[in-house]
Amino acid sequence: MSALRRPLRRRVARPFVAVLALFFAALALLCASPAMAAQPRLATLDWTVAETLVALGTPPAAVAQVDAYRAWVKAPTLPDSVTDLGLRTQPNLELLASLAPSRILISPMFANLTPRLERIAPVDNLSLYSPGRDTWTEMRELTRRVADIVERPEAATRLIETTESRLATLGERLDEGTPPLLVVQFMDARHVRVFGDNGLYQAVLDRLGITNAWSGTTNAWGFALVPIEALIGLDARLVVVEPYPAGVRTPLADSGLWQRLVAESRGAPLTLAPVWSFGALPSAQRFAELLVAALENDDAR
Amino acid sequence: MPADTLPHPSSAPRRLTPGRACLLLGLMLTALALAHLHAGPGLAEGLTALLAAPGSAADTLVLHFAWWPRLAMALLAGGGLALAGVLMQQVLRNPLAAPTTLGVASGANLGLMAASLAAPGLLALGREWVALAGGGLAMGLVFLLAWRRGLSPVVVVLSGLVVNLYLGALAMVLLLFHQEALKGLLIWGAGSLAQNGWQDAAFLAPRLALGALLATWLLRPLRVLELDEAGAKSLGVSLKWLRLGGLGLAVFLTGCVVSVVGIIGFIGLAAPNIVRLAGARRLGARLVWSTLLGALLLATTDQLLQRYAGILPTLIPTGATTAALGAPLLLWLIPRLRLGGESPPREAHAVGTRHPAPRRLAAGLAIALLGVAVIAALAGQGGDGWQWASPANGELLQWRLPRLLAAAGCGVMLAIAGTLIQRLTANPMASPEVLGISGGSAIALMGAIFLLPAPGNLTLVGVGTLGALTALAVLVLVNRKSGFQPARLLLTGVAITALFEAIKAVVLAGGDPRGQQIIAWLSGSTYYVDATSAGVVAAAALLLTMAAAPLARWLDILPLGGATAAALGIHLRRARLALLLLVALLTAAATLVVGPLSFVGLLAPHMARLLGFARARAHLAGAALVGALLMVLADWLGRQLLFPQEIPAGLVASLLGGAYFMWGLRRL
Repeated sequence: MSALRRPLRRRVARPFVAVLALFFAALALLCASPAMAAQPRLATLDWTVAETLVALGTPPAAVAQVDAYRAWVKAPTLPDSVTDLGLRTQPNLELLASLAPSRILISPMFANLTPRLERIAPVDNLSLYSPGRDTWTEMRELTRRVADIVERPEAATRLIETTESRLATLGERLDEGTPPLLVVQFMDARHVRVFGDNGLYQAVLDRLGITNAWSGTTNAWGFALVPIEALIGLDARLVVVEPYPAGVRTPLADSGLWQRLVAESRGAPLTLAPVWSFGALPSAQRFAELLVAALENDDAR
Repeated sequence: MPADTLPHPSSAPRRLTPGRACLLLGLMLTALALAHLHAGPGLAEGLTALLAAPGSAADTLVLHFAWWPRLAMALLAGGGLALAGVLMQQVLRNPLAAPTTLGVASGANLGLMAASLAAPGLLALGREWVALAGGGLAMGLVFLLAWRRGLSPVVVVLSGLVVNLYLGALAMVLLLFHQEALKGLLIWGAGSLAQNGWQDAAFLAPRLALGALLATWLLRPLRVLELDEAGAKSLGVSLKWLRLGGLGLAVFLTGCVVSVVGIIGFIGLAAPNIVRLAGARRLGARLVWSTLLGALLLATTDQLLQRYAGILPTLIPTGATTAALGAPLLLWLIPRLRLGGESPPREAHAVGTRHPAPRRLAAGLAIALLGVAVIAALAGQGGDGWQWASPANGELLQWRLPRLLAAAGCGVMLAIAGTLIQRLTANPMASPEVLGISGGSAIALMGAIFLLPAPGNLTLVGVGTLGALTALAVLVLVNRKSGFQPARLLLTGVAITALFEAIKAVVLAGGDPRGQQIIAWLSGSTYYVDATSAGVVAAAALLLTMAAAPLARWLDILPLGGATAAALGIHLRRARLALLLLVALLTAAATLVVGPLSFVGLLAPHMARLLGFARARAHLAGAALVGALLMVLADWLGRQLLFPQEIPAGLVASLLGGAYFMWGLRRL
């Protein structure tokens, strides 16, 4: 063993100490940042609940995987003061306990953590995208339940009303002749998620009065994973939700099938900035804004 | 050795020849294809769609740009993989060598993952090169591991398994922290044959043709490998370069196929073996028939899948399906292989020197364990940085103590299981993970998470135990006839692990958000432990350790080989079955807590040996202490390194264990 230890120590020890020093410096800086204003201290593992909380004007004190939230949900933005709890599936319990939240909000996906979390604070399990239920109704209920938890029911009413009236306005702005749309997200150069029943995009399309060209089956999360060939023959315009995975655009440009699909579809594909496809009202409104803007931009050209 | 390890030709049905097998599959494929065309636009139009870009009719468009290229791709990929399989099996003189069993695919997988996170620019340049580099490196590693043992069949396959597990663990870390960014690669990892144009087939065809040409050119020199070493040398052939050439070609072929369509399991293993069992002996015949059979096998499977799985809302990738179908084939094959009988293993000499006072050494280890445990219990980061908690801080300790206890308990159990299995098989690379018991319980747990609505932890534990017991039953059933001969036992583990990998790939490829939970559990964390389960784990560790202690005499004798042990009056079959049962219990109990991917069972017995615990009883005690020390350390490090994110203890342990393993190569 000692033969291993000696060179290792020499090689590793110095950079290790340097990294450690940097780490503590960063930590000290973090701790120096101003404390949160007095509010019910909420913690949530679910990004959908988190975005709802932010939109209600009561941002959570702690969220799991903050960096990934910023990369994949993007808006509404979390305050800088939010504490990162670590992985969504395995939030750091010691840290969570030390924050002494007044409540912890989860979704059914994390239900197996409930007994553990309940030792820290009361847990609310908020469901969305239950099979067989109308997504929009569920989103409204989720918003109201979250608002009740933060004791601001009026904020929920306001959020629901502004979102619905905004979507109505956006819907009116669209031409009569908007073709059916096919909302997809690329997984690799040969497979897409196509969004349909029981999903966020479908709910938004319904409210905007646009037909979704995908009538095939979807899973519990409102999408089906299909090879591109499954999209052929659908009379629709393509909407691609970003991001494109690395190294997908080039092979796609070479793909005969994709070229024909684009050629046969109703107009050039629209490309939208990333939207959290399993979100609630804020993501729904963001998707609607981006979609209508893209459709209008295209008409203007 | 070479003649020994080939499947016994006389056991094959006489009527089946390679030609007839291909004809049968070919007819089936043609029938399926014709049925598909007939159901679509009709035969004539379907055939024209092969040649010319059609008009705008949807069904002919799909035929031209997706269906025909997919058929071509299935034939090409199947042929290429089978060809690579024959080459590997010929060079390594090992009927169980295959592109996936030797780590090429998992290396390519890890390479692509790392590239898409750290250097996406590389992927734009060409993912085949990234995949090829990763695969080549992994295979190189496998050879390094097996080199000192003369690339003997069982050692090569086991090294492949260990490398597969290690690279799989690394891929798991990446997946755990970057699931959203890597979801596309999960589809690739499950091997989907879907096509969207002719460009991929056009990429693959010339490369495979080149490979086939080179294989023909190597045909005569490669035949020399059928002779024994001395005979080959007397013909003036450089064995080293010949092997390198043959394997290099195999890796190139595999890399090309894998980079285009993803990981396709078992075609490269199955086709050459079927052809051989059907009576093809000469290398030339085996090359030709295997390539043909592999192509037809993959294409037929794919046609069947397209026909019957198309209705599901989720993708059932062909590659993982063939792998899942291949596992039973391997299980069937194992009793039909000749593996060199009960001769004592070559490296039976002890590694490490015997410590003069094992008791004092053990006491030292125990004190070290206590020290680490105190640090793990009291030191840690919180919201305000590093803290040293007071021992009376119940608020904090309620989280830490159960994990500490469970980590130590699992460490002890895996270490003892590892010691038992290494002594039982006299194989330094054996570990409980390798037996497939972990894999069995993992398969059951994945099923529970996906099929049951919001399963509680108690349900998961029950289901996991059931899975472990099922795996054990398979082990016993397959190996009963051979009297639980060690090499066969380990190969059974390889098959079960392959099945687990295939199922995991299918489950994760669908992109269901619940996949996160699977990944979190598979990566082996003490996270889900509470006071009750920690108590149960500790009690199980204590009880099973006490059960293992009286078996020390068997463990001292069994590594000397079957004949010696029998001569000394040990009832081999009964002893092996009893030890196996104990190993299964230990592994199942530990796996349920820390997941299937830890190397502690491999590592702890080794380290105990190196420290100087030589006799079985001392070895058991030493390994248990080392195992507990390792797991407690891994658990604590995992919680601190990326705070507040937690790297699961199992993964930290595998990373430590893997590093140790590479270092230990020099001694093996």
